[in-house]
Amino acid sequence: MTTKFDLNDDSLVVIVGSGAGGGTLANELAQKGIKSVVLEAGKRFKMEDIENDEWKMFGKISWLDKRYVEGPARIAKDFPNLPAWIVKGVGGATLHWAGVAMRFQEHEFRMRTENGTIPGANVLDWPVTLKEMEPYYYKAEQKMGVCGTEATGMPFHGKSSHYKVVEEGARRIGARCEQATLAINTEVRDGRPSCQVNGFCMQGCRIGAKWSTMYTEIPKAEATGNVEVRPQSMALRIEHDKNGKVTGVLYADKDGNHLFQKARLVAVAANSIESPRLLLNSASAMFPDGLANGSGQVGQNYMTHTTAGVYGEFEKPIHMYKSTVVPGIVHEWKDNDPNRGHYAGYELEVLHLGLPFMSAFLNPGKSGWGRELAESLENYDKMAGFWICGEDMPVESNNITLHPTEKDQYGLPVPVVYKTDHINDTRMRNHAYDKATELLEAVGAKKVNYLPPYPASHNMGTNRMSAHARDGVVNKWGQSHEIKNLFVSDGSQFTTSGTENPTLTIVALAIRQADYIADQMKRNAI
Amino acid sequence: MKKDKRDDQSPDLTRRRFLTHSGTAVVGLGMLSSGLLSAKTWAAAAVGEHASATLMRMARDIYPHDTLEDKYYAAVLTPLAEKANGDAELKKLLSEGVKELDNRCDKLFARPYLELENEPDRVFVLRAMEDGAFFQRIKGDLMMGIYNNPELWPRFGYGGSAWEHGGYINRGYDKIDWL
Ligand SMILES: Cc1cc2nc3c(=O)[nH]c(=O)nc-3n(C[C@H](O)[C@H](O)[C@H](O)COP(=O)(O)OP(=O)(O)OC[C@H]3O[C@@H](n4cnc5c(N)ncnc54)[C@H](O)[C@@H]3O)c2cc1C
Ligand code: SF4
Repeated sequence: MTTKFDLNDDSLVVIVGSGAGGGTLANELAQKGIKSVVLEAGKRFKMEDIENDEWKMFGKISWLDKRYVEGPARIAKDFPNLPAWIVKGVGGATLHWAGVAMRFQEHEFRMRTENGTIPGANVLDWPVTLKEMEPYYYKAEQKMGVCGTEATGMPFHGKSSHYKVVEEGARRIGARCEQATLAINTEVRDGRPSCQVNGFCMQGCRIGAKWSTMYTEIPKAEATGNVEVRPQSMALRIEHDKNGKVTGVLYADKDGNHLFQKARLVAVAANSIESPRLLLNSASAMFPDGLANGSGQVGQNYMTHTTAGVYGEFEKPIHMYKSTVVPGIVHEWKDNDPNRGHYAGYELEVLHLGLPFMSAFLNPGKSGWGRELAESLENYDKMAGFWICGEDMPVESNNITLHPTEKDQYGLPVPVVYKTDHINDTRMRNHAYDKATELLEAVGAKKVNYLPPYPASHNMGTNRMSAHARDGVVNKWGQSHEIKNLFVSDGSQFTTSGTENPTLTIVALAIRQADYIADQMKRNAI
Repeated sequence: MKKDKRDDQSPDLTRRRFLTHSGTAVVGLGMLSSGLLSAKTWAAAAVGEHASATLMRMARDIYPHDTLEDKYYAAVLTPLAEKANGDAELKKLLSEGVKELDNRCDKLFARPYLELENEPDRVFVLRAMEDGAFFQRIKGDLMMGIYNNPELWPRFGYGGSAWEHGGYINRGYDKIDWL
């Protein structure tokens, strides 16, 4: 669309980031007649740019600006400059995502109440309940087209060979296993086709069967004439006036020109590394520790889920790649049952990697070579397995900070990401390794491989919601406790990570936030 | 791993080998006269025959697939050697890496790497060098060259790009006969 807004137009909402949070917020506001500019650091890709090729797509769309990983965890050694596997492009990480869309469980909004104090963890209840979220979850499921839900009435995908192996293993050990509720069409819906099972969901869906803001929310928002998306526009700094209200965003365009877009309201949705980084980089005399950071919680409590991979090698072919990437989920251990030896729950998500990524992740890092690895890779077509996804503990010292001296291509301090296990995370992962092994062996696995966590695809918690200003960064609407016209609209709002993949909750929160923003604007409260 | 049914000498490989050994820097090493080089001496022109044989052995020890023909390893090493011809630093990395490898073998076994007959001995020496830039360069190029090589995907039972074939919705996504 051709809508263009003036840099001096101070009636606009400026949204930083066009992914799950930002893209959804822009469209929701646009449908209500509220005008916004979306600043997106990455390019605008076309459907033709999407290829069924793991490394090509990784090279094409990943966020590869300089970052450091620190801490004793293995990822700091294996991937010292790649803490997270996310996207720089219109649509953000919804290009890459696998489409798994599950609601949080009721207790996951109040883990502090549920378990009391957990030493070494900074657990807090959400200022929101499942009951309040339910109508928004329903809207999010409708918007995204989640199969297997009441909201859409779309059936599940058929059971793939990969799924069937796991389903049988689960049956043999008495574990609950279901097909995954995916934001992937199983019928023609919303102008998008039905999935044809290419198996490359995490490289971007070439045919658009999977929901991505790139080709749903963004073009819909633009079609209203209320939204201007500016690709290759990297937000550098949010400015404020002497009353402490934000006034707009300084950004670098594709030629490196610095431009200032005025705003009535700024919503930050740059994912959980860049969002706190932007707030920290916006420090001023009035806010010396960064915007919205009176509590000191900006950038803290970085969560990625407790993850790892588990792949069994069988005697006969499975060809797991002939499937949606995540055909099913083993839900058995998703509850909060401390009798297992750990708090909170996890899912075993049936998930495949292609051969190229399997070779990189089976035993990542410098020592990943040799006959054992080669033999496992020769069994690629006989593999089945999981990605473990469990709730990780918020820990203050897991955080995003700014490098004291080193700058990136925009002249901004490079982010340093520190993330290591809380003891609960380690215990949970070990439990999951054991259960996954039991399941795979029950159906005939001859060898089971444990893959350490790879760069984080889920990133959460670095601008968390809290009932009290002292405990977090934003209130229950994602509105800064300190600055009324500054919002956070992405996964960094999460108070705790929950067991479930984050995107459905990010989208539900963005829909809810749009209602609140519209209401507050109407009342002239912001 | 499946055996390759095709002819070992694909035209593509021939072309690549030809390119390797027709570069200006290589002429004069006496290898051209012998026509096509055997895979074992794939890069002799760039790093010498001993080094090239050593690198080939090393490549096969890093990702040992016994049924995979040398040409696939050579297809990774050849461009590396080509590059080394115009890149003094890379050339140094390769030749000094090989030298270090031989020195280590010499200390432990009183023989160069190529003469160590037992794979565990060779692996033992390589493990001790795995953190270094030389080893990691070879390993990194090999990982991409072997596992990210579409020509080899069918051998590993991987399907590669599927959208242009209409995916697997009508091509057996649900087929499994042994459960
Ligand atoms: C391989 C993979 C698989 C996944 N699978 C699933 C799944 O199955 N289910 C699920 O729920 N989640 C999944 N996820 C996670 C999901 O993609 C993210 O949770 C979600 O996209 C995060 O939304 P967001 O709005 O926080 O950020 P993003 O979607 O990442 O959007 C942030 C955007 O902000 C832009 N940006 C950053 N900094 C700036 C700046 N300074 N100025 C301007 N723009 C900026 C970025 O370029 C990006 O486009 C997966 C992720 C990956 C990578
Ligand atoms: S499996 Fe379905 S959703 Fe995934 S990439 Fe293919 S068509 Fe798209």
